[in-house]
This record gives sequence, C-alpha cells and structure tokens, in this order.
Amino acid sequence: MICVVGLSHKTAPVEVREKFATSADVLPLVLARLASRAELKEAMFLSTCNRVEVFASAASPDALEQAVKAVRSVICDHAGVGDADAVLSYFYERTGKEAMRHVFRVAASLDSMVLGEPQILGQVKDAYDAASAAGTLGHYLGRCIHRAFTVAKRVRTETQIGAGSVSISSVAVDLARGIFGDLADHTVLLLGAGEMAEAAAKSLGKGARHIRVCNRSFERGAALAGSIGGDAVQWDALEDELGRADVVVSSTASPTHVVTKDLVKRAMKARKGRTLFFIDIAVPRNVEPSVHGIDNVYVYNVDDLEQQVAEAMKSRKGEAEAAERIVAHELAEFETWARGQSVAPTIVKLRARTRGVLLAELERTLGGRLRHLTEADKAALHQMVESATNKLLHTPTKHLRESSATDDGPDAVQAVKRLFDLPDDPPAEEPPSDETASAADKVSGFPPDPRGDEGLPH
Amino acid sequence: MSALFVDGLFFATAITYLAACVAFVAFLGNDKFALAGRLAPGLVAAGAVLHATHIVVSSLVWHVCPVEGIHFAMSVVSLLACAVYLVMRRRYRIDVVGAFVAPLALTFLLASRFVVATEPAQRYRSTILPLHVTANLLGYALFSLAFAAAIAYLLQEKRLKEKRLEGLFRRLPPLDALDRAEHRFLLAGFPLLTIGILTGTYWAHEVESGSVTDIARAVLGYATWALFASVLSLRAALGWRGRRAAYGTIAGFAVAVLVLVVYWIKSIAAPAAVAAAVAVG
Repeated sequence: MICVVGLSHKTAPVEVREKFATSADVLPLVLARLASRAELKEAMFLSTCNRVEVFASAASPDALEQAVKAVRSVICDHAGVGDADAVLSYFYERTGKEAMRHVFRVAASLDSMVLGEPQILGQVKDAYDAASAAGTLGHYLGRCIHRAFTVAKRVRTETQIGAGSVSISSVAVDLARGIFGDLADHTVLLLGAGEMAEAAAKSLGKGARHIRVCNRSFERGAALAGSIGGDAVQWDALEDELGRADVVVSSTASPTHVVTKDLVKRAMKARKGRTLFFIDIAVPRNVEPSVHGIDNVYVYNVDDLEQQVAEAMKSRKGEAEAAERIVAHELAEFETWARGQSVAPTIVKLRARTRGVLLAELERTLGGRLRHLTEADKAALHQMVESATNKLLHTPTKHLRESSATDDGPDAVQAVKRLFDLPDDPPAEEPPSDETASAADKVSGFPPDPRGDEGLPH
Repeated sequence: MSALFVDGLFFATAITYLAACVAFVAFLGNDKFALAGRLAPGLVAAGAVLHATHIVVSSLVWHVCPVEGIHFAMSVVSLLACAVYLVMRRRYRIDVVGAFVAPLALTFLLASRFVVATEPAQRYRSTILPLHVTANLLGYALFSLAFAAAIAYLLQEKRLKEKRLEGLFRRLPPLDALDRAEHRFLLAGFPLLTIGILTGTYWAHEVESGSVTDIARAVLGYATWALFASVLSLRAALGWRGRRAAYGTIAGFAVAVLVLVVYWIKSIAAPAAVAAAVAVG
C-alpha cells in the first residue's frame, strides 16, 4: 500500500511552498532521512515549483497511518518548521488507490496548475532517478511510478491536452508587452543562469533590445549569455543593472531574497521612476514581495503567472476528461497487478512445493527401479513432471488469481497455505526476485513494463 | 432653414459621438465585441467631420469667428481633441483612449449648447484675442487627451497591481504607452497653455475687468498652469511618472474644466460679456 503526503499549489501559496522547497543537492539527505524511518518501506521525494510531495510505501499494510505520520514529520523536520496544525493544514494525504491515482495524475500533468504542461514528467523522472540512486525505491512503488510514466505518455499521445501549450514564458512575454508594448526598446535582465532563465530568455529575448545575464558564477552566466546573444555582468553590479533593465527574470536557487525592497527603491531613483517589471519564477522567491508595492514596479511570481496560464487554458477541460479516463483505466490495471501481488508469493510457493514433491519422487524412482533409463527418457520424465505441475495447479492458480480481485483473496491465501502447509510470507512488499516478479506478472496478467529507462524523459 | 440645418448637424454629431462611446464601452466590456472596438475610432472620425462641418456652417450662419466666441470654445476643444486623437492613435498605440475622448467630445459639445451664442461686445475686441483663444483651445484639446490617457493608465495600473489581468487589461493599451502618450500630450499642451495665460493676463489687464468670475477664472487658470508645470517638472527632476503623474494630470484637467464652468456660469449671468472672454486667463 502506498501513500502520498505533501503540499501543492492547490493547498499552499508560494510563500508556504518555498519553505519546503528542496534543491537537488540535498535530495539524498532527505531520502536518507526517509529511509531511516522504520515505518516506511520505500520512498520518493518530489520537489518542484508547485509541489513538495513524498510518495512512500508502508512497512506493513496495517501501518499506513504511521507511515503518513512519519513522512509528515520528515518533511517538516527537513523544512525546519514544526508540525503545528497551522502548517499541517497545507498538507494533503492520500493512501491506497487514491494515492496511486494521485501519482498517475501528477505525472500526466493533470494535477498541474497548467494542465498538460510538459515539465512535470521530467521532474518526476528526476525524483525517480534520485530515489533509485539512493536505494529507497523497491518493487512496488518503483512499479507504480513506472506505470505513471506510461500513463503520462498515453495522455500526451492520445489527448490534445499538451497541444498549443500556453507556457509560463509565453504568459510572461504577454504581460511584458501589456506593460511596455513593444520590447524592442527594452532591456531584459536574467538573474540566474539555470534552465528556467534560458527558457525565459528564448521567448522574452527574441523581441528585446538587450539581454543581460547576471549570475553568481560569472562563467556560467557568460556561457548562457553567449548562447542567447546577450551580455554577462558581474553579480556585484546587480544594483546598476536594475537601473538599466526594464524586465527582470529571476530564477536563482538562492534560499533568501536576492532583490530587496531597499535595493529596488535605490534602483528606481537611479532610473527616475521608469517602469520595472519583475518575473520571479524562482521557488523560494528571489524578489521580496513588498517590492510590488513600490510605485511603477510590478512583481509577478510563479503563482501569479500560472494563474494567468490556467485562465488561458480553461478550454482544455474536454481533453482533461479524456485524460482522466486514461488514468482510471490504467489505475484499474495497476490495481489488478497490485492485488495479484498479494497472492503471487503463495502461488509461487505452491508451485515450488508441488514441483518439489513430484521431482523428489521422480529422482527417487530414477535412482532405483528406473535406473536403466537413458538420459533422453529421464529428460522426458522431467518434462512430464513440469507439465503435471502446470496442469494440476492451473485451476487453483486461476481461482487464487480471481479471488485476489475480491475481498476473499486473503481467506483463499490462508486456506491454500494451511492445506499445503506452506511457510509464511516474507515481510510485506519485499522486492521479489526476478523469478517471483515474473511469476507475479504472469499470475496477474499484468505485462512487464516494456519501457526501459531509455524511454523515460529527462 | 439655416438654423435647422445647423441644429441637424449638431444632433448628427452628438449621435455619432454617442455611437462611438457605445462601441468603445461594448468593446471594453466584453471580448465578443471586438468588431465594435475596430469600428469605434471610425465613428469618432465621422463625428469629428460632422462636428467640423457644424462649426463652419454655424459660424457662417451666425457670423461668428470660431476662435472668438465662447459658444464655440468648448465645442472646438472637443473637435481638436478628436482630431489629435485620430492622428496620434496609431503612433502612440492608444486606439482605446478614444473610449475616453469620445465621451469628453460629447460632453463638451453638449455643454457648448448651454453657452449662449452672441457676438463679442465691441469693447472686448482685441487683436490678441484670436491668438489667446486658439492657443487655449489647442491646449485644452491636448490636455483632454492627456486626461484620457491618465484615466486609462490608472485603470491599467490598478489591474496590474491587483494582478487582475483578464478582460479589460488585454483591451487597453500597454501601460507605458499610456504614460508616454499622457506625457507627450502634456508637453505639447503646456506651451500653448502658457501662451494662453500670458495673452489672457495681458488682455485682462487691458480690459480692466475686476468681476468675481474674472478673478476666479484667472486664479483657476494660473492654478491649472501651476499644476501642469509641477507635473512636468517633477517628472523630469524626480521621476514622478506613472500613477503620480496621472493623478497630477487629472487634477490639472479638473481645474481647467472649472475654468470652463466659470465661463458657463458667467454666460448664464451675462451672456454678452462672456462672449468675448474665452477659456483660461
């Protein structure tokens, strides 16, 4: 059983989310903290501009509630905030089927503020890679995330949800034009030289007179400036640059405000009150929110921009419904597979026990009365044992598999165990061996995921 | 017959301006009326042509020079405002400013109806009077446009600060274009107002009129000049642009309109005397 605990743009504004945002370099630390909790079996941590979430599986099916608590406490500890009710009111939790549905919807960009935006799938993949590298993903959760990638792919190819995507960048350009009209006489300043800055530069920079890149690492800033035909400037020159620029796109990973009210006030004096527009796409935010209160200065953060995007995308409701149907279908398939997981170990043991008994009897006979048989005859007898095992167990296997889809599943498992004196299961959700996994897949009728890592987005 | 024709032109102008107002309001109110938005500047242009015809015909009928009588003053101001708007709307990308110019034109046109048309009294005739009136009329026309741009600016600015960007925000011109247009209209109008004030002061001195309305008019005229001078110099020196400049422009225009109100009051009180005095100063 898996659970999802976290907060997103739907439950928490950016000023709350930024407290929980986690950069990629500290991700192993958070994953290690999650792994150290006895209540959790598997865990994956996803931190984007819009959401901070942990997908986890509980150490035992009965301990789901404890697992949720453990995850919440790790997230709050990591963010350095107490788990007071005020903080927890921003959190949501999903368990079991709803958790799986949530994972699928997130990866398919159905839970995004901008329906169908393509970035989220890459971000989930990055989180998956980090969890795999940290060894916190097992068979069950890993399978669920893989399935989510398939769902996302289907949604993208079978619906028009991502077509003609209205991106944050395009909204930012529209907004800049709403303020300045033509950007041909204006200067764009990029604070930070990451991927977000590059994406913004591509759309904003096309029409602008100058693009300047101000980054803490000058070399990195210069590299970006070179690729987009702009100029790199030293980080120390930020105040001067604010005096020159008209549109500032900030996307640094700084945990504190890079652009403060005092700094902008000074810059506004230098620029004699000329309009200054900040597009702050960083989480945590780079621009102090009170800067928006200064005359002729406008600050739009990621929530503001996405709100605009969402407005522009209301027409995609129909596509979203089609996508939800895909999610529901995939969810039903995954559930069948997941339920199959509960009977699979029993079936594997039953087969092993039956085959073991028959083979032991065969070996005994071959060592005695049938000692004279040729190797070919012996091989034929071994084959016969295999066939007998399959035929003998076909009906019980079928019934067990069917019962797994109903509430009778656990009773059937117990009955078989008692009748054949099978040993108890290993601890729940132990990553099965390849053989077990393949048997489980065979049992559930759920095809192994055909996609390797090569098909995954980065 | 001629008077009927003049009246016909007057009402045709008023109706055309009204239609332009309705078209602009419909366009600003809802995306569905994009066509109305495209037609509206055309209606302003049609109104301006009718308006000009009305002024020419009525001045011929009444034998009054348009720049000499208060009867035409407000009417001419609105016509000039429309003309400048029509010429500048593309250059400054302020098509939608017509939404404010059209109602102003209509208001001024109707207001001019209330001012009794009479020939200027002989003792008020002066060689600088036409210069005084022309400068003031052009100045008023430009200030009307600056006022319209300032109102549109404040609407845009409020929406941007409140982050309400749907609907109206998309249909109004860019914020900076409005600020720039407002500033340029003020810059162009200010020297004309200065000429108006100087000629008005000189002329008032010659006429030596000391009535309460004359004094009020002069004081308000100087106040208008001082307000616009402050808006322009604070902008140049301290960078007071945007919202502050818009408020200053609106305040200046409000005082300028008060000057016209004083004329109107005076025209009711003493029609013959008013006919010679025009606008500020």
